[in-house]
Amino acid sequence: MHQDTSDAINAVGLVHSYDGKKNAVDGMTFNVRRGEVFGVLGRNGAGKSTLIKVLTTLIRPTAGKLTILGMDPSHKSEEIRARIGVVQQDESFDFTSVEGNFDIYGVLWGIPKAVRIERRERLLKEFDLLEIRKKRSFDLSGGQKRRAQVAREFMHDMDILFLDEPTVGLDVIMRRNLLDLIKEQVKGGLTVVFTTHNLEEADYLCDRIAVVESGKVIALDTVENLKRLYGGKRTVEFAVEGSSGIELVRAVEQSLNGESTLKVLDDGTALVLTEDPKKALRVVVEASQKLGVQLEWLNVRKNTLEDVFLSSIGEQRSGN
Amino acid sequence: MVLPRVSRLVYRNFKVNTDPASLVILVGLPAMYLVFFGFGFGDLLFIAPGLMAFQSVMAGTVGGGMLWADRRYGMLAQLLVGPFSRLDYLLGIMLTTVIFGLAGAVVMYAVAFALLHGVYISPLGWGSVVVTITVGSLFFGALMLILSALVKSNNTYNSIQILVLFFINFASTVFYPDTPRLPVILQVLFRVNPLSYIANLVRAGFDGTLAPVDVFYLIGLLAGTVILVVLATRTYMRSDISYT
Repeated sequence: MHQDTSDAINAVGLVHSYDGKKNAVDGMTFNVRRGEVFGVLGRNGAGKSTLIKVLTTLIRPTAGKLTILGMDPSHKSEEIRARIGVVQQDESFDFTSVEGNFDIYGVLWGIPKAVRIERRERLLKEFDLLEIRKKRSFDLSGGQKRRAQVAREFMHDMDILFLDEPTVGLDVIMRRNLLDLIKEQVKGGLTVVFTTHNLEEADYLCDRIAVVESGKVIALDTVENLKRLYGGKRTVEFAVEGSSGIELVRAVEQSLNGESTLKVLDDGTALVLTEDPKKALRVVVEASQKLGVQLEWLNVRKNTLEDVFLSSIGEQRSGN
Repeated sequence: MVLPRVSRLVYRNFKVNTDPASLVILVGLPAMYLVFFGFGFGDLLFIAPGLMAFQSVMAGTVGGGMLWADRRYGMLAQLLVGPFSRLDYLLGIMLTTVIFGLAGAVVMYAVAFALLHGVYISPLGWGSVVVTITVGSLFFGALMLILSALVKSNNTYNSIQILVLFFINFASTVFYPDTPRLPVILQVLFRVNPLSYIANLVRAGFDGTLAPVDVFYLIGLLAGTVILVVLATRTYMRSDISYT
């Protein structure tokens, strides 16, 4: 690997628009340090995959300044691509066996035969693919495909590895299993850019995280600092029986008058991120009594990365 | 030894496209045509060079199919975030297409040689066959690349390909000679069909009946190929990389 003290990636005011009207990447500024696992966390459609396409030189930025490994991708895209690895969100296989895919990929990257065989065997073993090595890649299960796709990328040397939602579609156990395998592979100090919408994954794998929403970086720090940043806050969470939850949420929101961030999850649980949990509790209880709504449960807890994420998005929206 | 980039792509294209099922379709099907049409109509000497020429169409479908499959199954984007440029990829496909066309023509010749108990082509004839099949493969490769780069739906791609191939194959001099006895509409189709010229040129090389006028046909074919290759390159370079 090349020794260089500069950032692995440096982006200033990065913009990409597919149609010239709406920016999928909208003025992102961030840096990725060498040797760190950098998470890009955001919901579906937040601009993560477009960002990865720009960073991997697949599409050109519409505006902004970008350097990757000290090089400008608009002039040195081939040199950059020769030093990065990319695991795309979509599957990408040739119509051949798992080991055939590894071999062909090694040849494509110009890996000498002896090294190719050694790496193929090691990766098949480490990623638990030995039993399915002869299986055609398109006959694999979703989990096997993802494992094979990630493993295949380690057939070649690289300075930065881009992982675009590598665990999408996997169950919890497979996800953790794959994250462990990735963690093991990057122990040597490889720079990794990892996109996900899964907060636990980001927490588990990343040194620093950029929270992305509507094409913008809305928070960027280490996991610990992000938690600390919102550390003064607590989360008051509650749920109600029946369909009267919306009224209660509206009433609580009105009473808190913008002092706290309020979110309703898909399962109906309402979260209030607040610096004054006592007040929030009182507001929730009073509002429920006033409306005659039966609270199913009510709880106060320390915030998690998920709360940070929700809070960041909440602030971004209120800022807009 | 590390192969040059385009050679690595060609190696990959062959590895992926030479599984037994693909080979049966690519080579076995025309060989069956040769046997059935040759014996059925009793004119192997006419059909054999026609099917050698037909290999340029088969090679073209392989080329177009490669781009289509690579877009559909994510390998195009995967290769282009790797150590290859778009132009490398295009050259890899073009080179693979030409090799497929030439190899297919040699296989057809071998089958004809066996069926006819020996049929020889002069060195000049071989030269003409090689040049014509090379240009023809590039012509149909470029045509199919345009189709692959533009069409987004699997069904549309297959339907258009079948339609185009049907007209190109059967409204040509591959299987039947262009004679005044043909209906006028067929005569017109035969004469605007580039495959007819490819078949005629290969047949002339095969039979040893090359004439000065064939040079003009070859130049015309070459000009058409250059135009199509330029169009294919522009279309492909501007196309979306990802299928989804």
